[in-house]
Amino acid sequence: MAEKAISRPGVKRLIGVDLDFGALRTAGPRYWAFVSLLVTVIGLGVIAWATLLTHGGSVMAMRDSYPWGLWFTNYMYYVGLSAGGLVVYASVHLFNAKQFAPLSRLAVLQAGVLVMMALLGIITDMERPWRAVWMLLTPNFNSPFIYTGSAANIYMIICFVDLWILITGKGGHKLAHRMTLIALPFAVYLHTTTAFVLSLNKSRELWNSAVMVPIFLTSATASGVALLLICAYIMQRIGAMKFKPSMFRSLSTLLATVIIIDLFLLAVEILTVFWPTSAKPGHALRLAEFFTGEYAIAFLPVLVLGLGAFALLAGRSTRHLPAVQITASVMYVVAIFLKRYSLMAMGFAVDPLGQYSAPYLPSLVEVLIALGLLAVGLLIMTLSAKVLPLRVPEEDSAEPDQVVLASHAPEQALEVG
Amino acid sequence: MSEDSTRSAGQPRRDLPEGCTLSRRTFLGGVGATAGLVLAGAVPALVSSAQATEGGVPGNESLSGVIEEDGAVNYPGKTVHYAEPPGDEKWAMVIDVKACIGCRRCVYACVKENNIGRNSGFTYIQVLEMDKGKVDVEHASLAYDHGGDPDKWYMPVQCMQCAKPPCVYGCPVTATWRDPDGIVVIDYEKCIACRNCIVTCPYGARHFNWVEPEIAEAEINPDVPLHEKEGVIEKCTFCIHRTREGGTTACTEACPVGARKFGDLNDPDSEVSILLKTRRVWRLKEEYGTEPMIWYVG
Repeated sequence: MAEKAISRPGVKRLIGVDLDFGALRTAGPRYWAFVSLLVTVIGLGVIAWATLLTHGGSVMAMRDSYPWGLWFTNYMYYVGLSAGGLVVYASVHLFNAKQFAPLSRLAVLQAGVLVMMALLGIITDMERPWRAVWMLLTPNFNSPFIYTGSAANIYMIICFVDLWILITGKGGHKLAHRMTLIALPFAVYLHTTTAFVLSLNKSRELWNSAVMVPIFLTSATASGVALLLICAYIMQRIGAMKFKPSMFRSLSTLLATVIIIDLFLLAVEILTVFWPTSAKPGHALRLAEFFTGEYAIAFLPVLVLGLGAFALLAGRSTRHLPAVQITASVMYVVAIFLKRYSLMAMGFAVDPLGQYSAPYLPSLVEVLIALGLLAVGLLIMTLSAKVLPLRVPEEDSAEPDQVVLASHAPEQALEVG
Repeated sequence: MSEDSTRSAGQPRRDLPEGCTLSRRTFLGGVGATAGLVLAGAVPALVSSAQATEGGVPGNESLSGVIEEDGAVNYPGKTVHYAEPPGDEKWAMVIDVKACIGCRRCVYACVKENNIGRNSGFTYIQVLEMDKGKVDVEHASLAYDHGGDPDKWYMPVQCMQCAKPPCVYGCPVTATWRDPDGIVVIDYEKCIACRNCIVTCPYGARHFNWVEPEIAEAEINPDVPLHEKEGVIEKCTFCIHRTREGGTTACTEACPVGARKFGDLNDPDSEVSILLKTRRVWRLKEEYGTEPMIWYVG
């Protein structure tokens, strides 16, 4: 593999990774049109951020009643999406799920890029980003922010280091396996601490529930697996990677399983809040807004899309159809976004003094910043699809461990030489 | 030190000028200095925690015992812009909700006294109008036209200066803390605008300056910061600039019916101490365990 790559023109080797810049030269006009669209969106995002820095927080739709807005929704959402990819990648090593092996590089790259977008979202929300240094100088370990912030940073580094290990094959199968043992618990830790940011608040009844943590984990895994499935289809479509249909089938089985656990946890929470012997007025009143209030248009689709996605994937006769798999995945990725949004916004809609505020809708500046960040992530993925060697060599995925180890040896020898 | 070490690793030693190598002595000296700094940093922490546990004044006369856990939390040993706490006071307030007519004069006085931007869209004090017969905060009204409705009752809510403040626990950068006299203060120069304290506060007492606070030149109170508050959190300070100089709060002064009593819990003869001893009092959201320093009586 390595030998073949070096012989091609336009390939540059950087810290042991073959970057195929030649593929960019042969890319079609459609590819470049998409890239320039992304760059334009990023430009708009930068302008919006500059507006925020010069005009202050008033250009955003957030107010005291909604102290957190789209940036926090996206933080939860991106952090969650990144988990699923990692779970799939980890299952290759931990549960010997060989069918997912071709996905490993893509999954880790996707996880790293998504966490990066989440962190950039925090920075672009701060009016004085340089004050973030106090997080390091005088941290308060009672605050869940310290844990989720540090976890996200370390997790991002782990993802990119892991990607590098997977691509270069340094340390072979053994090191890749050990990295999984670090990365997977860290992914769980990151999502737990993100859920803690909401759930460890006695002041906000809606969030103050221990079930928030498992809901975050399952929502994260489900949406992440769904996104990975979509991403894999796109990569296959543009010819960057190739997968077996059985891989997609396994992925959608996993997706259906996690979706139903996710919906089950949500149902348990709803039941606890409304059951006559357990209903507390503050909590019930706030959750009721999800069903009868103005937020119903954001939350009811979560249930409809979730159940719909599960129904699509549960059908044994249709499950293997790519169209069904993609539709279900898109449905659930959208559903989880709406879930994050309504969960965050509804926690604020009725404030601690019982005052209701009209629904939060992000302002143009917030939307442009968020789109800009999304474009940054998409741009990295788009360029990586051409430049990075994401395709896992055949022998790695098809053969048992010992052979994989052996196949790495000549590769390493080449690198040394 | 680190620069030296990389240079000595990267280059042959003889090329280096005199004194540019990392000798064992310099290295040990550096380690010693670091250890010393860490130890020196630990001393004030130990001292302040010792003070915290001693807190209050011994003797049954003092009412500071009503606060279950009365220690300074996250107290970094620095006050913001104001005088140090003068003595061993524990500031508290008692609000008579039977007397309160919901006129909002305390709100107006507070806005003027504390340089709250007239365009900022918040006030430190929020007066809740509630139906008689229950303390139903969930169905309270903040936006009533004018007070004095005989079918309603009124309850002013502001920063409770909690003894166990969730906002202080939630601040990721220790930009807010509780001073020894019980006032929860904010360092405007340090606040990173994450707004987590707005989320953690069960009383809706914290407010963010989404716009630069604007006040007519003539109305600015020189004793209170103004421009420092842009883009950071602010809240009621028990009029720290007045009370630490021996005065009372602006809202207490402004109340036309004398519903507010402000004073020192450690002084057995203060109005608040007498009220807490002789009347049946309650606190808002007592079940949250935040130990508020504002009591209601009525």
